[in-house]
Amino acid sequence: MNPYQWIWRYARRYKGKMWLAAILIIGNSLGIIVVPLLGGAIIDQVINQGHTERLPWMLAVMIGTTLVRTLMRYTYQILCERVGQNTLYDVRKDLFNKLQSLDFNFFNTVRTGDIMARMTGDMDAIRHFVSWVSYQVIECVLWFFTAVVVMSTISWPLMLALVAVTPLIGILTIKMSQAAHPVFFQIRQSFSRLNSMVEENISGNRVVKAFTQEPYEIQKFDKLNDDYKQRNMASAAVSRRYLPVLDFLASILTVIALLLGGYFVITKQMTLGDLVAFNGFLWMLNQPMRMSGWLINDMQRFSAATIKIRQMLGAKSQIPVNNADHYEKIHGTVEFRHVNFEYADDPTQPVLHDINFQVAPGQTMGILGETGSGKSTLMNLITRFYDPTSGEVLIDGKNAKDYPVRQLRDQVTIVMQDQFLFSDTIKDNINYGNRQADPGFIHAMADVADAEDFITDMPAGYDTVVGERGVGLSGGQKQRISLTRALVKDPAILILDDTTSALDMETEAKIQKELRRITADKTTFIIATRISSIRQADQIIVLQHGRIIERGTHDELLAKHGYYFDTYQKQLGALGVAPGEE
Amino acid sequence: MAKRNTYQEDETLEQEFNWSYYKRLGKYLKPYLRRLLVVLASILVANIAVIMGPYLTKVAIDSAIPNRDMGQLWLIAGIFLVTLIIAFFCMRYRIWAITEIGQDMLRDMRSDIFNHLQELPFSYFDSRPHGKILIRVVNYINTLSDLLSNGLINLISDLISLIVTLVFMFFIDWKLTLYSMVLLPILFIWAWVIKNKQRVAYQVLSNKQSNLNAYIHESIAGIKVTQGFAQEDNAAKRFADVSEEYRTTWMHAVKIQFALWPGVQNIAIMTTALIYFVGVNRIGVAVTTGTLIAFIGYINNFWNPVINIGNFYNSLITATAYLERIFETLDEKPEIEDAPDAFALPPIKGDVRFNDVSFKYEENGPMILQHVSFHATPGQSIALVGPTGAGKSTVINLLSRFYNVTDGEILIDGVNINQVTLKSLRQQMGVMLQDTFIFSGTILDNIRYGKLDATEEEVIAAAKVVRADDFIRHLKDGYHTELQERGSTLSAGQRQLIAFARTLLIDPRILILDEATAAIDTQTEILLQQGLNALLKGRTSFIIAHRLSTIQNADQIFVIDHGEIVERGSHATLMAEHGAYYDLYDAQYKMLQSM
Repeated sequence: MNPYQWIWRYARRYKGKMWLAAILIIGNSLGIIVVPLLGGAIIDQVINQGHTERLPWMLAVMIGTTLVRTLMRYTYQILCERVGQNTLYDVRKDLFNKLQSLDFNFFNTVRTGDIMARMTGDMDAIRHFVSWVSYQVIECVLWFFTAVVVMSTISWPLMLALVAVTPLIGILTIKMSQAAHPVFFQIRQSFSRLNSMVEENISGNRVVKAFTQEPYEIQKFDKLNDDYKQRNMASAAVSRRYLPVLDFLASILTVIALLLGGYFVITKQMTLGDLVAFNGFLWMLNQPMRMSGWLINDMQRFSAATIKIRQMLGAKSQIPVNNADHYEKIHGTVEFRHVNFEYADDPTQPVLHDINFQVAPGQTMGILGETGSGKSTLMNLITRFYDPTSGEVLIDGKNAKDYPVRQLRDQVTIVMQDQFLFSDTIKDNINYGNRQADPGFIHAMADVADAEDFITDMPAGYDTVVGERGVGLSGGQKQRISLTRALVKDPAILILDDTTSALDMETEAKIQKELRRITADKTTFIIATRISSIRQADQIIVLQHGRIIERGTHDELLAKHGYYFDTYQKQLGALGVAPGEE
Repeated sequence: MAKRNTYQEDETLEQEFNWSYYKRLGKYLKPYLRRLLVVLASILVANIAVIMGPYLTKVAIDSAIPNRDMGQLWLIAGIFLVTLIIAFFCMRYRIWAITEIGQDMLRDMRSDIFNHLQELPFSYFDSRPHGKILIRVVNYINTLSDLLSNGLINLISDLISLIVTLVFMFFIDWKLTLYSMVLLPILFIWAWVIKNKQRVAYQVLSNKQSNLNAYIHESIAGIKVTQGFAQEDNAAKRFADVSEEYRTTWMHAVKIQFALWPGVQNIAIMTTALIYFVGVNRIGVAVTTGTLIAFIGYINNFWNPVINIGNFYNSLITATAYLERIFETLDEKPEIEDAPDAFALPPIKGDVRFNDVSFKYEENGPMILQHVSFHATPGQSIALVGPTGAGKSTVINLLSRFYNVTDGEILIDGVNINQVTLKSLRQQMGVMLQDTFIFSGTILDNIRYGKLDATEEEVIAAAKVVRADDFIRHLKDGYHTELQERGSTLSAGQRQLIAFARTLLIDPRILILDEATAAIDTQTEILLQQGLNALLKGRTSFIIAHRLSTIQNADQIFVIDHGEIVERGSHATLMAEHGAYYDLYDAQYKMLQSM
């Protein structure tokens, strides 16, 4: 499918508007022809022949025609703009929805600024094409053929002589298209890089300042900024090569008409009046030729902009979103059977190896392990942010892959390590997963997460607006709001990925006590680095390099004198001295 | 906490139309004025060449052809061809030169706004969605592109043809010329009405664009949460709302913008009609037929540039809405700047003194820190403990001068930090922030972010100290493994280790660790701690930690609560005091004992 067919699939939904616009375009063109004809008639009939009584109505027709014509043009401009905006709206919506359905693998490899560039700058090239270029092309084609028809009635040999130039123009425009396309693609890519760099600079502004790397950032920026300029200049180079030639060829038509037409008049094959009339229509022929180069540029800009958008629209999610006819309630049994996992981009490095365990509803499983041992990945398999490379994850005895993914996630909630909060009120952040949540329930859950007090202490309480990613809140506050958010969702399976690491131990203990109470009927997974966070779990697994190296209850694991025991000793030993003993 | 803007909320609009924007825009043009003049000269030449065309045609039709003079016809065609060739070369030159001037101006402007952004304080970035900042640096500036390249040039060339035509018209018949001006006031009123409406419409539009951008940005950044909570449908609905608002505002704006053209066109045709009427009926004028026809011809020449100028005017009004936003950003006060007489802080020995420091984010906001005073001697390690939100991070943010103190003063080696350059201050501080930001690029690049000329060996040495070397070597390409923005492919603990290595590599004189090891497992942490202790000798360090185990050996421990230091002393003295610290310790101890 070429870009034009592709955009047509969107634009054709507004066929009615486009037909209307097309009719108005023709109407306007007729109007444009009428006014000079009337001017000629005034000179002939009124001025030369003295029919002054005809002047008022002729002028009235002239003004009336122009009024109608300009209204028609205004209307079709608006119609085209409307079609352009509607098309854009649809493309953007599709792209946004697509992004919502893509998996982590996609977001791990594509930069935010890149996606932003697709959603903004590239979209604008599409809009420009649909709302402006499209009708300009129609107008040009219309002029061209009208001119050919009208001119051939005056003198077809002269017309043929002029049209003979068009193949040359055709060749040039094709060559220009070919030259312009890669250049415009480079511009889009350069724009995307610039966008990504600035986006990252804004996101990382704290680190930039802390390390006083502003000069380095500026240097990076200058390079990309200059590159963007150079890419635009490359496009100017293409324009410079072709546009003046096209313009020259269009203008040369006048010379040919004059020379050849003059010859025809001299040899009496045509009257002088005909030549003057012929000349009057010449602009209809050379204007489209003159415009062709500019329009080619716009078309190639559009075509280049669609490439990445269509690539994103066509991106395949390894975890497809399928819709279900009925809602299946999850009870919470989670079983891993010989689960192996590797990341797609590094298949030689096993991240999880032969994982087996079973957790019953209401049970709590604790997970301990080294940094990077695969704990979070393990949890991502339950929520199906990734699927295992081999083996099965069973939920209530059914393969997790057989659940519609959104239904699954609706009942399995994970509190992630990096807490993302939206720039919105605390209240809207908390009820993010459950917008119908009862205020009483929200407060109760905030109490469990020990967030109620600090939230109500804020100047605007629950209506306090937090920054994107929760800037302005301390790490511990973010963690507690995230926890509340997960609890308000009231899921069957709750996963806490190092959720209390930024809290002091007392607060953590308090939260844990409350959590145990309300998760009595939920399956809970707790990833932690502190033994205190998981020691009361019904079962605990210890991960190392993607394998379960120890499992059991707290007491059983201590008895094993292995990694768990070691960690326990170290954490305990660190505060080895009882207060009052020193 | 400053007032925050969200994606749903419009930013404030300026009410007054401010001509000084154009003056400021003119400043960007200044360096390229000479080049612009050359382009103008080429346009002048091209215009003269093009004006020759109709004249040559007239000569051919009036004399050469009726006289059957084929020789003269050839001559005319020859001259015509020459004018076309001149026009050809002028156009070639113009396309290149004008694009370059326009692109240079855009680049300068983009560069200015980016450089300025680097000077803005945390509070600027914290108080609005990042998508709204991004749109100003790239998208808004791009909207000026057409205005600055073709728009400007066409304006000047149109103005020239307008004046030339007017002179000709006066020359032919000044009375008719006055008649053709009669309707101009209506055009001015029309343009004025549209200007006012269009400006507001585009201001609103720029806001909606900004909102849309903010929402898209945040949606991408928060996609994991959205998917995790299965809220894709809600996100799509919200997106549709923002998108719809954008579409509606856009349509509203173009409806106003496009209305200028029909106005000009109709007034032009009415003027033509008026001239016919006056000329034919000889109302106050006595013109010959030939003059009338010629005059009508010139009226068309007169209105074409007027229409073009009208279009330029249109895009200028549109651009104003964006210019406002761009200049607004450039006018944003950096707040934290070098004092005019700032000097470079000499190598820090490590004596840090807080004298009665108080802090609040904004004038009427609540006090975050109150009367904090302490003294750390070179080489001491200072631990800050206390509940979350008590103000621990604020203390260290003030030390790096990420915010200015509201009251009191902070001295390093006896020098007030407000008197030294930010660069010299921050370069000597190693700050390990709570949230670890990873840039897209290799691990190597990320670790040496603070010291760009560090060798690979130095990087590896730093990584070894923080025990990151092990896991990095196990990655696909080791130190050359490419990471994505925020390091989404690494675990939180691994990101912390990388950030840790990054901080150590700059060999800071003062080290600040804000919950630096929270996500790191105990075994790694202990190893890391050992490596760190060796490094810390002779350096002043500030450590925020919840696990008291990590800070027992600190020289001074401050317990901070509600923005005040409520207790201070070494572990031993604090334990003996049986105060807040003792309680904290006791609680942790009991918790561990009960395990």
